Amino acid sequence: MDRLKLLGWQVLSVAILVLAWEAAVRWRLVDPLFVPAPSAILGVLRTTGGEALPRLGDTLLKTLLGYALAIGAGVPSGIVLGSRPTAHAVVMPYIVALYGVPKILVLPWIALIFGIGLSTAVLSAAVFALFPVVVLVAAGTRDVDPALVTVAASMGASRVQIARKVLLPAVLPSVLTAMRVAMVFALLGALIAEMLAGNRGMGFQMQRMALAFRAAELFAATVIVSVVSIAVVLFLEHLNRRLGRWR
Amino acid sequence: MRVWLWRSAVLVVALAVWEISARMLNPMLYVGPSRLPAALGRVLSTRDLPPLPGHLWLTLSEIAAAYAFAIAGGLWVGFLLGLRQSLGRVYEPLLATLYAVPSVIWYPSLMLFLGLGPASKIAFGFLLGFFPVTLAVLAGIRQVPAALVTVAVSMGARPFTVFRKVMLPAMASTLAGGLRTGLALSVVGVLVGELLGARAGLGYVINYAYGLMMTAEYAALVVLVAVAVLLLDGAAALVEQRVKTWTA
Repeated sequence: MDRLKLLGWQVLSVAILVLAWEAAVRWRLVDPLFVPAPSAILGVLRTTGGEALPRLGDTLLKTLLGYALAIGAGVPSGIVLGSRPTAHAVVMPYIVALYGVPKILVLPWIALIFGIGLSTAVLSAAVFALFPVVVLVAAGTRDVDPALVTVAASMGASRVQIARKVLLPAVLPSVLTAMRVAMVFALLGALIAEMLAGNRGMGFQMQRMALAFRAAELFAATVIVSVVSIAVVLFLEHLNRRLGRWR
Repeated sequence: MRVWLWRSAVLVVALAVWEISARMLNPMLYVGPSRLPAALGRVLSTRDLPPLPGHLWLTLSEIAAAYAFAIAGGLWVGFLLGLRQSLGRVYEPLLATLYAVPSVIWYPSLMLFLGLGPASKIAFGFLLGFFPVTLAVLAGIRQVPAALVTVAVSMGARPFTVFRKVMLPAMASTLAGGLRTGLALSVVGVLVGELLGARAGLGYVINYAYGLMMTAEYAALVVLVAVAVLLLDGAAALVEQRVKTWTA
């Protein structure tokens, strides 16, 4: 009952917000050329949605490829860095520094080398997602209690057994967190690359709609991308909890 | 000490690898570190590029404005939702869900609404910086031990005293972390905005150099901006450290 009431309040507030927005446009408090009314957005949602789906698929494909690259490179690097204190002390400051540099700065250069299209967006997604993965997994690996390993080894566990039964479950939560966080970063990287140097995909399309003053379509596209990314993140969180229980 | 030696060695090796590979590859696309100082000099002196100081100043003002709005908005919403728990329980999940959306998709709408001038950059920097500040305030308030507040109130402390003496010390370290992340994201927001569509600012100059295929100048600008961003974040990290030692 309580959760239902909460949900009711949330729906109600969003509804009031949308109605106020609609009223503001109807009464010309804002110019519909720039901010379309929710009803206008709803009107174009179907057509925009039809156009958007293949483009969104394009973007999601780039995201997934970049995501796979970032996870494939980032998780092993993170585990290595987390399990070797010297390497961690030497290399980690650089990783953290690179994490802090806005990745969009190097995007023009990537586009210059790889051209406008798939590989640039994939690499961009990978670059955006890589550093958080390395940092999160390294931190998670470092936090594994060394006593666990010592105890298992002293009780005669083999290296494979230690890796499977002790290290994997201990590192898994941080890997799962990294996998969830990386998805948003990869999507961000792919979309920014499409906006900056793309000829297709959702980011390119949205940038073009903005420059052509197609406000209603742009807002509809924004709604669609938001809903899809929220759905992806919620799905990954759900997966996280399921896998977390296995531990 | 040994660690510092290794760190410098890594840096030297990385620079050497960069230099050697850049020399072996197409100089139009790959710029080695040795070409950067001269390129930076050209950036500052050439008439092919827009004059840097004015654009730098504009970008810094945009960042300052965006961050100021992000702090004001983040603190206000954070304390509002954190102190009125009925409001917090309704709206915090909505905020957290919005945070999961890749932020850049808001930018085209902002550009359409606010134009290509500074306003859309400030708005985007605000939007990015707002979330970490708000979420840090909410997380910080949860860290305040309720018993301490009860005790302070029952001993007759006024609301402001409770806030200053009990709540603030308990949440300061989380809050400082959020403010630092907020600054970093406000900077990113302004830079992204300038690169995606602007008529002035550092991002515009970078785009300009890149558009003219002045790769060396572009690389010099990127290194310059990256170093500036890291210095800014380093300063924020120092402040964060001070706050942590103050409360510990």
